[in-house]
Amino acid sequence: MAEFTASVFQNEYLPDGGTDVNAIVTVTCAGAGTAGQTGGGAAGEIIIVDTSGSMGPQTMAAAKQAATAALNEIVDGTWFAVIAGSDRAMLAYPAVSSGPGLVQMSAQTRSQAQQAVSRFVGSGGTAISTWLDLAGQLFGSVPQVTQRHAILLTDGENRERDDTFEAAIARATGYFQCDCRGAGTDWQVDEIRRISQALLGTVDIIPEPAQMETQFREMMRTSMSRGVAEAQLRVWSPQGAQVLFVRQVSPTVEDLTDRRVVINPLTGGYPTGAWSDESRDYHVAVRVAAKAIGQEQLAARVMLAVGDDVLAQALVKATWSGNSELTAKIDQQVAHYTGQTELAAMIQEGLAAKASGDEATATTKLGRAVQLAAETGNDEATSKLKKVVDVQNEREGTVRLKAAINKADEMALDTASTKTTRIKK
Amino acid sequence: MSTPTSCPACGEALAEGAAFCEACGSKVTATVDAPAAAGVDVSSEPAPFDELGSGPISAPTRITPLTGSPGQQGPGAPSDRPCLACGAEVDGDGYCTSCGTKQPSERDHFRETPASWVAGVCDRGIVHAGNEDAMALLADEPAGSRAVLVVLDGVSSSIDSDVASLAGARAARETLRTPLPRGMGTDQGRDAAVAAAFAHTIEAANGAIVATTAADSDSPASATFSVAVVEGNRLSVANIGDSRVYWVPDVGETLQVTVDDSAAQQLMEAGMDRDAAENGPQGHAITRWLGRDAPDLTPRVAALDLAGPGWVLNCSDGLWNYISEPSAITEQVRAVEATGATAPLDVALGLTAYANACGGRDNITVTLARIDAPAPATGQNPVPTNEID
Repeated sequence: MAEFTASVFQNEYLPDGGTDVNAIVTVTCAGAGTAGQTGGGAAGEIIIVDTSGSMGPQTMAAAKQAATAALNEIVDGTWFAVIAGSDRAMLAYPAVSSGPGLVQMSAQTRSQAQQAVSRFVGSGGTAISTWLDLAGQLFGSVPQVTQRHAILLTDGENRERDDTFEAAIARATGYFQCDCRGAGTDWQVDEIRRISQALLGTVDIIPEPAQMETQFREMMRTSMSRGVAEAQLRVWSPQGAQVLFVRQVSPTVEDLTDRRVVINPLTGGYPTGAWSDESRDYHVAVRVAAKAIGQEQLAARVMLAVGDDVLAQALVKATWSGNSELTAKIDQQVAHYTGQTELAAMIQEGLAAKASGDEATATTKLGRAVQLAAETGNDEATSKLKKVVDVQNEREGTVRLKAAINKADEMALDTASTKTTRIKK
Repeated sequence: MSTPTSCPACGEALAEGAAFCEACGSKVTATVDAPAAAGVDVSSEPAPFDELGSGPISAPTRITPLTGSPGQQGPGAPSDRPCLACGAEVDGDGYCTSCGTKQPSERDHFRETPASWVAGVCDRGIVHAGNEDAMALLADEPAGSRAVLVVLDGVSSSIDSDVASLAGARAARETLRTPLPRGMGTDQGRDAAVAAAFAHTIEAANGAIVATTAADSDSPASATFSVAVVEGNRLSVANIGDSRVYWVPDVGETLQVTVDDSAAQQLMEAGMDRDAAENGPQGHAITRWLGRDAPDLTPRVAALDLAGPGWVLNCSDGLWNYISEPSAITEQVRAVEATGATAPLDVALGLTAYANACGGRDNITVTLARIDAPAPATGQNPVPTNEID
């Protein structure tokens, strides 16, 4: 049985009249076990590979290799399927047209699936909504599968109406998780990130076909290590208080505020998906009514629940004080992640401005990003930023856009924008 | 580890090396042990309620966790007491499940209702970090027969004053379980016998306070003391320091029955008016107290025959700071009664709430005995049961 712990980092002291309480809550899971093996229901995995006509021979060969490697990582007994996606979704494996659309992994099914993958041929367009919908239907055809995860590989832009695409994402949201990878540089980061964010997955660029196999193997390995199928972050706040936001801030920035579901009038639940042995940080901000100096109250209980069981909780407090030495301090962790959240926004907004031809805004925002990456010690962001801008003064955030930017570098900066680093101890 | 230069609770400047804030009584060293940025492992947090039952009062610390729910931590162990702020259920960790208000520990807010006509509230107030006030009550039915109201106000700047004051209050109460002596018939004789009984009471209170003080303490616990004994229509009082007994008749003017041992009182006796004296720089300095370094232990003793219905009020300066004039006391008691409060506990809570609404700058103790139809106490001197007239 997995064990969760929660710890809180905050400055609980508020000045006279102060109302806003910020805290970082670190939730750690240990003893998660293996997906589908912990008695909480079976695990299902679907590999979705873009087989549209845009997939060049080299990319297609690499995709086949990657899917084969991923199939090798799926633990025996896990329910799985392989989808070939173009302007419609084809169930490549298992070869069924009715009944359960997933089969259990074994030496035999693995080999059959790998043979099916080897027969992939690129043709047709790209309609990702149909891929997501078929995945949802396949998961739904095997009711004992309660932990649902997909890997999606694409190489091109989605050729569908936006509302069709959004509706399919909405249908899948909360039903299965999906990690997304883009091959080459002809796909849209924004578009694919919409899927990965809604479906609690990751997004990344695979610039070279040769890197695909490793990425797929790791993605699947990570998924199989998630022995906790689903956990929910719950935030209780007092009567009359307002939850300003709830964000995951590590390992990546994901705003969960709008994904609140009502648990009871004072408690909201936020999805966190499946867990392996890992640690995640959440930034919770709550606005409470100011009290008299010397008063103490609970501003939030941040809990982690699996099913109906609350397995860990952290208390976020508010104490009003007249001592400005205490109230003026911003907690180091809160400051760090506030900076990292702004860093993610600056990178995304800067690249969007650049794409729309607004170089002045792009320069300002990416300059600020360089400054924040340095201040918060995010070396990965710094090195990725330096491939897009020439840094004149890191501390002041003055930069110049590079004259020639490698498209893959720009996309890598974009996909990695939400990755955060932990505070350096 | 370094000593802060200002109080963590109220921000007042601190003397170098001070262990407590002179202004609000907060323990200063506590902030050093709990830096704001530290991670808190929730699972190891002690339950906030202090055990306050019949256990040894002289224990030097107050961190014994609630034993009502062994092994239970975090959510799911609700407390028996409703939230003092909104009345909703309180979670096992001491926070209200609705408004989030941190519930005071048993020591920070407690109530006693020994009989239908007698009640008291002892409350931390708002500014102080702990409650060094204490009270101990005793009363018999029927209403108006016999009641003992003991109030001690522990001095904030000394160590363990909270433990000491409660020990002192309870020790004093124990000495007053039997009626006061009536002497040999003359008023003088009676006064002398009562004074001797109160001297014994104070000796017991002082003994309990000294017993809780560490031998090598350079800041020994100390406290004020005031006691009111109602026996029929006779109110007897004794005090050291500035806790006060008032008689608040339903009709007519309130009378302050005790006389403070304070710099302000000395100034008033020298002709200064009450307002100027009590709000002057030495307004809150007491000239006598209980404790190891007590200058002398002879209480001021007084008595009053109660003529009509009203309230006997024994309170600490946490209340009277805001309503020192007897007329202000009358006004506030009437205001609380006007809210519909008639039971002694409700009136005491109303007065406590008033002091908190005024800022709650000090610990607040309000004890009351309701007198409806004062009549001479029945019976004579306590008579041993085996003695036959």
